Amino acid sequence: MAATSRPKATRALALSPLEGFVLALLLLLLAMVAAGPILAPDTVYTSDIVNALQPPSAEHWLGTDDQGRDVFWRVVVGARATLLSALLVVTLYSMIGVAVATIAAAGPRWLDETLMRITDLGMALPSMIVALGLAAALGASLQSAIIAMSLTGWPITARILRAVIRQTSEAQFVSGAQVLGVSKWRLMTRHVLPNSLDVLIVKWASDVSTTVLVLAGLSFIGVGAQPPSAEWGAMIAAGRSYVATAWWTVVAPGVAVAVTSIAFGLLGDIIQVRNDPSLREA
Amino acid sequence: MAVRSILRFLLMRLGQTILTLWGLASLVFLMIKLLPGDEAQMAVGAEASPEQIEAARQRLGLDAPVIIQYLLFLSRLVKGDLGVSISTFQPVLNDLVAVFPSTLELVSFAMLVNLAVAVPSAIVAANKRGGAFDGSSRFMAVIFGGLPVFWLALMLQYLLGTVWRLLPISGHNAYGMGAPILTGAATLDALLALDWVALADALRHIALPAVALAALFSTQIFRAFRASLLGVLTSDFMMAVRAKGATARRVLLRHAVPNSVTATLALAGTQFGAMVGSSVLIESVFARKGVGAYMFNAVAQKDSFAVLGSVIFIGAVVCIANLIVDLLQLVVDPRVRAAQLGN
Amino acid sequence: MSMARLDLRSPVDTSGPTPAAGRPLLTARGLTVDMQLPGKKSVRIVDGLDFDIRAGERVALVGESGSGKSVTARALMRLDRKARLSGELTFDGVDLQRLSEREMNRYRGGTIGMVFQDPMSFLDPLMTIGDQVAETLRIRGVGRHQARRRALATLDELGVDRAAERLDSYPHEFSGGMRQRVVLAMAIVAEPKLLIADEPTTALDVRVQEQVLDVLDDVSRRRGLAVLFITHDLGVVAGFTDRVIVMYSGRIVEDAAVDDIFAAPQHPYTQGLIQAVPRIDRVSERLFAIPGAPPPIFARPEGCAFHPRCGQKFAPCALRQPALEPSGAGRVACHLYSSSER
Repeated sequence: MAATSRPKATRALALSPLEGFVLALLLLLLAMVAAGPILAPDTVYTSDIVNALQPPSAEHWLGTDDQGRDVFWRVVVGARATLLSALLVVTLYSMIGVAVATIAAAGPRWLDETLMRITDLGMALPSMIVALGLAAALGASLQSAIIAMSLTGWPITARILRAVIRQTSEAQFVSGAQVLGVSKWRLMTRHVLPNSLDVLIVKWASDVSTTVLVLAGLSFIGVGAQPPSAEWGAMIAAGRSYVATAWWTVVAPGVAVAVTSIAFGLLGDIIQVRNDPSLREA
Repeated sequence: MAVRSILRFLLMRLGQTILTLWGLASLVFLMIKLLPGDEAQMAVGAEASPEQIEAARQRLGLDAPVIIQYLLFLSRLVKGDLGVSISTFQPVLNDLVAVFPSTLELVSFAMLVNLAVAVPSAIVAANKRGGAFDGSSRFMAVIFGGLPVFWLALMLQYLLGTVWRLLPISGHNAYGMGAPILTGAATLDALLALDWVALADALRHIALPAVALAALFSTQIFRAFRASLLGVLTSDFMMAVRAKGATARRVLLRHAVPNSVTATLALAGTQFGAMVGSSVLIESVFARKGVGAYMFNAVAQKDSFAVLGSVIFIGAVVCIANLIVDLLQLVVDPRVRAAQLGN
Repeated sequence: MSMARLDLRSPVDTSGPTPAAGRPLLTARGLTVDMQLPGKKSVRIVDGLDFDIRAGERVALVGESGSGKSVTARALMRLDRKARLSGELTFDGVDLQRLSEREMNRYRGGTIGMVFQDPMSFLDPLMTIGDQVAETLRIRGVGRHQARRRALATLDELGVDRAAERLDSYPHEFSGGMRQRVVLAMAIVAEPKLLIADEPTTALDVRVQEQVLDVLDDVSRRRGLAVLFITHDLGVVAGFTDRVIVMYSGRIVEDAAVDDIFAAPQHPYTQGLIQAVPRIDRVSERLFAIPGAPPPIFARPEGCAFHPRCGQKFAPCALRQPALEPSGAGRVACHLYSSSER
């Protein structure tokens, strides 16, 4: 293969058009999360029934909802509720999963078995059902949805990571290090885990993609974020009755959820291909 | 294949399943104990009289030490006693059994749509890798993979139901068209009654819900199956098959597809549980009966035992489904047979 | 290098029916294979091969990894979709390159059979071995029962014990040697005239190698099957083949009868290969290795491809590519023997 004149480091950073697009999208979303509530006019939280259900116009770019609030700004503000929660949930349970997997792989056999039984349990329950159950116990709120999702998310991560750790541990370079007298702990943190990072990051991205959907779904049926929160799922629920006459109240937040989910999904794909170029499609 | 080893395997898997169910039950017991408020009160509802509350306290053995309560709880579960719903005044198990067929019907049709769309598409896409179909179907997979189920449901309901009036937007069948309720699944009831008009009507009612539920999962199967097919098609043994003089079609259908089914089977199995979980959303949007709707209603009514009973019930269903998928793997892949059953 | 069959104390025993030096079965003239690399550049892997294989003859195609021998083997059956062939390739008078894909398919498995290196990766794990061997026939329209019977007969012929019982077993239930016999059965069940064996023994251990070679020997003699044996293992070559073609960097450097190659190798590369084989019958202080490494395919040296590593090079070697010319009973591509250089 002909060598290019650019040094390897910059070649690694070069972005294809698709990658650039996805990155731009993600930055936009993060901007919404970070700056949304700051930039939005206060009217986002106040009712203005007189102006309810207005179609998109120059003044209200995406129209108004059933309470007369500007849909565009509510979508921007809602990013914090939906996306930030999803990021929090996934990061949280990924860490739990890593911890459990490490303990299971490095610890005694009985511990491994017990933890695996517990993950079996975790995988037997659909996350939505658990969230409903928790909502009954703790009351319906975004917090209980977050807790529920964090509790049901870690088993699969733990399982996958445990498999990766085992695989890496059996690799040659690890036994080589062992022969040299490297301690188990050091092996784990310095050698095995960094190699598992690739798999973890890809999973993290695709998990955020699906968690956004689930969180929105929970809010939609009423066990997640509650009104007047601008959370996207809750907005869709609120606009549901008016879908025929004021479609923008449902379409706008729906598109927001979809775009967020797709962007993170693509992020996962991009990272995966970068890790392993053999997966690249022409 | 020795019958003994098959039985041994079955017993072992069954044992594992029971272990998981026991863990589930214990978890639920823990949740009951952690719930704020008086348990006896929760059992009989807010309107109950003091005598009723006291009776509940006796029945549940709430004065006894926790360990006794736990054992009582487990013994009740084994007998099928999941408590009584405070809104329907029926045993929770009865309620669930009554609505479960409807959810099962929904998930079955969704799985059918899922596979019917994903599998052929993946085969066609893998066959002409990089072609127009491949590119466009992968694009669609990306888009549909990111659409929220409930939102897609709403959109479908709006476009195909309200605007274009192609399909009904809610319920199981049109008023008065239903066959007598035997199982609770409208299509099955119609089939059993040999009522073709009712069957057609029930199918029309389940079309949108099934499609909405299937979309997301279909993209997952499409991707996994396609990747698996391509993996086999570019592997060494494909060259050996072609060296025998096999046409590309034979290579694809007789070798690539069977070899890709195993992995995808496992994926489909996990999707079953996710579909049951998502049934809440679909049943809500399309006003259908089912365990999801039941559980949701129970949450709204603060019917704690109905909620927890649903959790156990659904958990058990998913466990059993996983067991069935494992057994299917055994049938499909001789290597799994050898590994699991031994020689 | 394996020691399976090498015995240089005496000339290789050729007792046993000498295969008829029949009519040429496969003819290659100026055969060239170009491959399309992902970077859109085209690379010439095989550069102008001229050789014949006669009916019933056993020819070894020898070379290091990267010499292009496997690519050549696959090119003969047009198995590599990314490969572009040019030059002449004729089988029994038929120009293989002119055939449509469908017509070529009829040749594959039926007229020319191929066996590969690692039997496990070349067998479908989900199909019984009986079905897989029979598949070669089923593709040709043979009925189920007949195909199965012939599959059984072939497996028997190849020395698979209790073949009848094992027809319904799966590949993972077999040992390496057995699997190689299954793959062999798949290749010869439709009675081809030429068998191309691409390093069939490399993945096996020495005892099993012997068994597989014995089986191959037996079957090819009985059927008068021509064999093109691709290998880098000279030990295997010595006991099994009649003629040896040595390849280096995509070109043929020597082509001679097996006795001649071992007794009096002409090309410096061949000499190096023979010298490099460790020998039981001689005490040697150190293992010989040809200095340097084979050139990468996209950077072939000017002139003779071997000259940078050759201890006998002289003026013309760096300037002109030597042509493959008759020398003694065989052919050599080396300026040392070139009639024009003398």
